[in-house]
Amino acid sequence: MDKPLRRLFLFFALLFVALLVGLTYVQVWAAPKLKTNPSNTRAIEQEMRVDRGLIYSADGVELAVNHQEGQDFLRDYPQGDLTSPWLGYNSRQYGRAGIERLYNEELSGQSGLLGITSYWDQLLSKTHQGADLKLTINMKVQRAAAEALGNRKGAVVALNPKTGAVLAMISYPRYDPNKLDSIWQDLNANPDKPLLNRAIQGLYPPGSVFKIIVAGAALQTGTVKPDTKFTDTGSVMAGGFVVHNYGGNTYGDHDFTTAFASSINTTFARVGVQMGADTLAGYAADFGFGKQPPWSLGGATSSFPAPAGMDKAHVAQASYGQGEVLATPLQIALAASAIANGGRIMKPYLVDQVLDRSKKVLQQTKPESWLTPLSAETAAMVRDLMVKVVTSGTGTRAALNGVQVAGKTGTAEIANAEPHAWFAGFAPAADPQVVVAVLVENGGTGGSVAAPIARAVIAAALGL
Amino acid sequence: MSLRNRELVFLIPALILTTLGFALVYTQKSSALSLTSLTYGALFLVLFLIAHIGRRFLAPEADPYLLPVTALLSTLGLVVLYRINESLALKQAMWLVVGLVAFLLVLVFVRDLEVLRRFRYPIGILGLLLLLLTAVLAREVNGARLWVDIGPVHFQPGELGKILLVIFFAAYLVDIREVLTVSTHRVLGVPLPPFRYLAPLLTIWALSMALMIFVKDLGTSLLFFGALLALLYVATGRLFYVLVGLVLFLAGATVLYFIFPHVQARIDVWLHPWRDPSGKGYQIVQSLFALAAGGLFGRGLGQGYLKFPSGKTIIPNLETDFIFSAIGEELGLVGAFGVILLYMIFVHRGFRIAVRARDDFSRLLTTGLVSIFALQAFLIVGGVIKLIPLTGITLPFVSYGGSSIVANFILLALLLRTSDSVARKEKALEQAPRAAGKQQPRKPTIEAA
Repeated sequence: MDKPLRRLFLFFALLFVALLVGLTYVQVWAAPKLKTNPSNTRAIEQEMRVDRGLIYSADGVELAVNHQEGQDFLRDYPQGDLTSPWLGYNSRQYGRAGIERLYNEELSGQSGLLGITSYWDQLLSKTHQGADLKLTINMKVQRAAAEALGNRKGAVVALNPKTGAVLAMISYPRYDPNKLDSIWQDLNANPDKPLLNRAIQGLYPPGSVFKIIVAGAALQTGTVKPDTKFTDTGSVMAGGFVVHNYGGNTYGDHDFTTAFASSINTTFARVGVQMGADTLAGYAADFGFGKQPPWSLGGATSSFPAPAGMDKAHVAQASYGQGEVLATPLQIALAASAIANGGRIMKPYLVDQVLDRSKKVLQQTKPESWLTPLSAETAAMVRDLMVKVVTSGTGTRAALNGVQVAGKTGTAEIANAEPHAWFAGFAPAADPQVVVAVLVENGGTGGSVAAPIARAVIAAALGL
Repeated sequence: MSLRNRELVFLIPALILTTLGFALVYTQKSSALSLTSLTYGALFLVLFLIAHIGRRFLAPEADPYLLPVTALLSTLGLVVLYRINESLALKQAMWLVVGLVAFLLVLVFVRDLEVLRRFRYPIGILGLLLLLLTAVLAREVNGARLWVDIGPVHFQPGELGKILLVIFFAAYLVDIREVLTVSTHRVLGVPLPPFRYLAPLLTIWALSMALMIFVKDLGTSLLFFGALLALLYVATGRLFYVLVGLVLFLAGATVLYFIFPHVQARIDVWLHPWRDPSGKGYQIVQSLFALAAGGLFGRGLGQGYLKFPSGKTIIPNLETDFIFSAIGEELGLVGAFGVILLYMIFVHRGFRIAVRARDDFSRLLTTGLVSIFALQAFLIVGGVIKLIPLTGITLPFVSYGGSSIVANFILLALLLRTSDSVARKEKALEQAPRAAGKQQPRKPTIEAA
């Protein structure tokens, strides 16, 4: 009877080995697929149990906090709609957006940054806690930007040109993330798209703010000098296309500085055509056009047309930011920051630190440079042109008492509608602390509509 | 170290596990340590010390590993149940007491296995009656009729019935063993016993089919049939019986598949759980999700997502059929492997007893009991990991359920009794080496009783 017994034991041993293999398959091999199976709601339910990381601004204002319902932690946004363009939301029903989505691993404590801590928490059976975020946003600047923009469709971006730290970013219309349940349907049906962050996702013809880039190119290539003389007759022919100045103005004899300060289209068309499509396109790319915004928040890619397909008329129009040039407010802010930062563009960033609840810093963002389109000398020349815009040109309404503001207005003409109003600038001109880009959709002229908004934001950023 | 002290030493990890486990789960629930964990630890200590001392006196030469393995399994079950539902753990603790009493009673009253052999027919009839009782009186729970209510107590007579029938068949096969192995016919070169000796096989086949039809319980049916087939194989040494048995069972199951919707439903859910993951496939799909969530090291005791905020368990029948999924989620692959290894140790020790046994009845009885135990563990674990179709049976010593706990403690007692008598006979043979060759160990002449 020994042989059958041994065989029977072997058979049972095989059955148990089959269990071990099957179990390994389910718990290890197939586990990733099972975890992401659409019928598996465990992940969401589990994450509701995490004491999700808090988010606060650079000046210490709480932007995202939790309240507990039973075992679940639910999110509150104390600043309401003020922070929604970049903060996004974290919702059981609607998923996640913005910082809440991009930093979900950190906020829900899965990133490994908190690895050791959460293991001990688990052993000591404490509530699982996520990592906190400290943003670069300054809520005073953010609020000033929101108030200055008001109920006009558009966007404002403010950043520190020396680091790329975003100080404020607002978009209108926006939404209150605390009320998603009641407004979700409207948010998706609304033709004004409140879920869109216009500062990074909106693409607009930049109009004359693009002259910052054209001026930089012209000065750096030696095509012009600040005092190069031009004569305007109110219009200029370029490849069969007639270029006019905004408002039909005629300026007569003037130098390049005046052409910039008064935003004379005919002169820029001439200079642009003289440089040619390739040079213009090259500088546009050097300033970031055609490149993904260099940060995790993403956004639309600003574009400059392909030079091979451009005739003289196209080049002329592109020289004052019309034609097929498209830019996001963030891109315009970054272009202006090259002038403010000695020719170098820093990568923008919104999350300054990842910390644990006891404020121990787990991760610190270090400023990184992105592009260097201009030399420091050229940047300084363009800066002087921009100072002139505010002291005696189209952007006087951006001027502040006691602080020299540099800037450029833009009035982007579009067919059958009011033009988009732009302003890009920085201050103090000698040692820039803040760069601001303002866009108001169909707002009118940059000088009268966008410049005052920029002024208010700069004032808030400089603590005036 | 002597065998007995070895058992005592091996009980220590089980004691630590209980106390630690309860402490962990308790701090989860109320963020403070209380006396509960220590109470459970102390209760466990007293219970298994009594069992240990009882065995020391009643079956001193018995295998020293079976009781600690049982202790580990049942305390793990207790901790997980406490984690799921405190009041269930309390009831289970009470059932553990009852089980240990039954364990001691069996050791006290069954001093000699011959008693069982002598009363094989009453035992067989009682076993059959218990199964019949189930078929007639039971109310239907989850599509199977397993529970019988008598007054406030409801129990599953089938749990005990299985063991009694195994005792009967072990004894019966000893009676007819010689005839079964004698071949008179040869069909295509295969030696066949006279047809009428296929009767035992046909009987157990008919019984298991009846179980499937009337009790609507695929699990018990499979368990019962598998264990008795194993017995038949060990008794005769012929794979022929196993093959005929398997063919018969498959044929019967196929026919039943087309006739009975409850059999069909189980198989269909196994084959296509993802067709209806929130309906018919819900239970098995959630079990897989739970295991996947556990991963390699588990979410930690008390950290799994076992219950909805309402307190209902996410996997229906978590405390009975699906307790292994909860273990897999909270203790991970590592913990689940540990549990399976414990069952393997138990089964291995059981087979050691069977191999060492010198008389047919001890051997067959042990084989039958161990087979029931091994198959039960395999069927339910295989079911919740979707290796095989799900059959609603309990995980021995771990799942919640009084009948199951008591039945398994009786099974353990019978194994230890066999082990003890086997060891005593070996000792006796060593002391009288010359007699060893002549003596037929069939009749225990040197029983210390």
